[in-house]
Amino acid sequence: MSDAVQSLSRFLPELILMGALAVVIVADLLTQRRPLKSSTDLLNGITLVGLFGALVTSWQALGAVEAQSLFASMLADDGLLGVFRPIFCLTSIVVLLLSMRSKELEGVRLGEMLALLLTVTAALMWMAGSVNLVMIYLSLETVSVASYIMVGYLSSDRLSNEASLKYILFGAVSTGAMLFGLSLLYGMTGTLDLYGVRAALAEGAFGPGLLFVLILIAAGIGFKIAAAPFHFWCPDVYTGAPTPVTAFLSVGPKAAGFAILIRFFYLGLAEPAGGGAIAPVGGADWQMLLMMLAVITMTLGNVAALLQTNVKRLLAYSSIAHAGTMLMAACVLSVDGVQAIAAYLAIYLFMNLGAFAVVILAHRVTGSFEIDSYAGFWKRSPLLTVAMGIFLFSLMGIPPFAGFLAKWYVFAAVINAGLGWLAVIGVLNAAVAAFYYVKILRVMVIDQETGPTPALAFSRLDLGLLVLLVVPNVLGLLFWGSLDRVTEYSQTLLDLG
Amino acid sequence: MESMASAAIFYGVAAVVLGSALYVVVGRNLVHSAFALVAAFFGVAVFYVYLGADFLAGAQVLIYVGGILTLLLFGVMLTNRIYNLNLRSGAIQVVPGALSAGLVFALLVWIIQSVDWGAMDAGDPGPTSESIGRLLMGDYLLPFEIASVLLLIALMGAAMLVRRRGSGSS
Repeated sequence: MSDAVQSLSRFLPELILMGALAVVIVADLLTQRRPLKSSTDLLNGITLVGLFGALVTSWQALGAVEAQSLFASMLADDGLLGVFRPIFCLTSIVVLLLSMRSKELEGVRLGEMLALLLTVTAALMWMAGSVNLVMIYLSLETVSVASYIMVGYLSSDRLSNEASLKYILFGAVSTGAMLFGLSLLYGMTGTLDLYGVRAALAEGAFGPGLLFVLILIAAGIGFKIAAAPFHFWCPDVYTGAPTPVTAFLSVGPKAAGFAILIRFFYLGLAEPAGGGAIAPVGGADWQMLLMMLAVITMTLGNVAALLQTNVKRLLAYSSIAHAGTMLMAACVLSVDGVQAIAAYLAIYLFMNLGAFAVVILAHRVTGSFEIDSYAGFWKRSPLLTVAMGIFLFSLMGIPPFAGFLAKWYVFAAVINAGLGWLAVIGVLNAAVAAFYYVKILRVMVIDQETGPTPALAFSRLDLGLLVLLVVPNVLGLLFWGSLDRVTEYSQTLLDLG
Repeated sequence: MESMASAAIFYGVAAVVLGSALYVVVGRNLVHSAFALVAAFFGVAVFYVYLGADFLAGAQVLIYVGGILTLLLFGVMLTNRIYNLNLRSGAIQVVPGALSAGLVFALLVWIIQSVDWGAMDAGDPGPTSESIGRLLMGDYLLPFEIASVLLLIALMGAAMLVRRRGSGSS
């Protein structure tokens, strides 16, 4: 019991989020009869304060004290969790701001949505910290259930309902497979603790049986990060969900999925080999498994994105491709790969949410998500066009934008690990990706608009949001040093060094 | 002799569980399927008894048979038109489906045979509720709390889903 009480002091961001959740639920009930606008403003305010409090406390906790396990070895409060916590908070804050400006969510009571956003942010933190099979499953399931509801939030919208149902069906199958894999792993090792799993696997060779178990578990994790061949839900769900929710799904759960991937494979299925490197245990070649996933995911995502005409669908495939790029870094088998993933996610957060912000703002005037509807945007709003250009060039990985830095981290880690062929496939994929990102820009700048073109008007919130998202992308290279220092913490995994 | 009888009961119950579970899937009448599910859940409770998990067996009966299934039956029976509805879940791609299912089954059998599961002799079964309670309030306190958060949002989601369509904005 004293252990639980002691752990609370290092559990502050999650506690703040849960407190805000309780306040939001009560405030939502109390303001049911008030006009929609005032109640929504109040709830948005409470949520923003909660998320901001969590951001500040998690930033303060980052790298302040040494790694430690919490709640009887359920969570590891180490550098990895430390770096991921602010990423989750920032994502949710941006998504909250986006939801205030989304046309789809206008006139809808948002109480439940905000409560879900707070819950899911905390659950992402639990995911990133879990070092116990029960915790891995429970936190993943909490994120999934919250996401299903958020995707189907517009109960009168057929597409939103369909997306939610598809998401639930695919989610049920993949979490079922994962749970079965976890139970087999428990049977093999006799323990739920990841460090215990590692110790048990190090003693004997399990060979092909273990590989089968890993494929089952990879299905669950692959579903969360939208890696091929577990990505089938992704395009439909991204298209049908309210756009702010799509933006959230493309960053938050993906980041937490990578954190679990690192914890599970780097801590549970490998032992430290000195100098931050790790060596797989148990006789299953999971490095090969991850490399295959990375290559399939990247290639499929990029090729399928070329064919898309709907911008949300295109960004869905692009997010699959980015998951593939990050999976390359996971194949590195050393803490360099961990830092590469953390840095990639920190930058990906700004560039991908930025692209979605432009999509949401454009939707306010065009009312459409088709790429064709962006024709002539350069004349209607140079500001939005330039912003979109910055986000897309950043997603392509072209210097001087921050996306280049993200790609640089991954390729440096992959090449240093002697996986040159993987890096070559990655570079080829990046070249393919340039085509479809440029396609959007070409339509915006070169194509002529047809029909009436209402002018774009921005509120102060829109401008602030764009500045918040554009600045990190443009000035990313200037802050290379600080990014490096911060993400270096992610290399401190509990019990790995 | 005793172990023979025990094995006979075990396989008998296993046959009931598999048979009724199969009926749940292929049965055409929703109400019959729901009743078949009762048998399947009861059978699983018997398995828990075999494993010496008395608390789990009780919980299985109370929650699944007593709670969830009763609710399910109410739902089915109170829904107009569904009572006599002939359900037919279409079967497409029977051959590839059967092939992959057979493959997974063979793989699982092979794994179960080949892996050393490190099975322990359970010894004489004793009451487990005390140690479960201690674990839930001790080592597994955090998962216990997170499960309550999960249930809370699931409840919110269910309430949201049943909210009358069109009044979603009020």
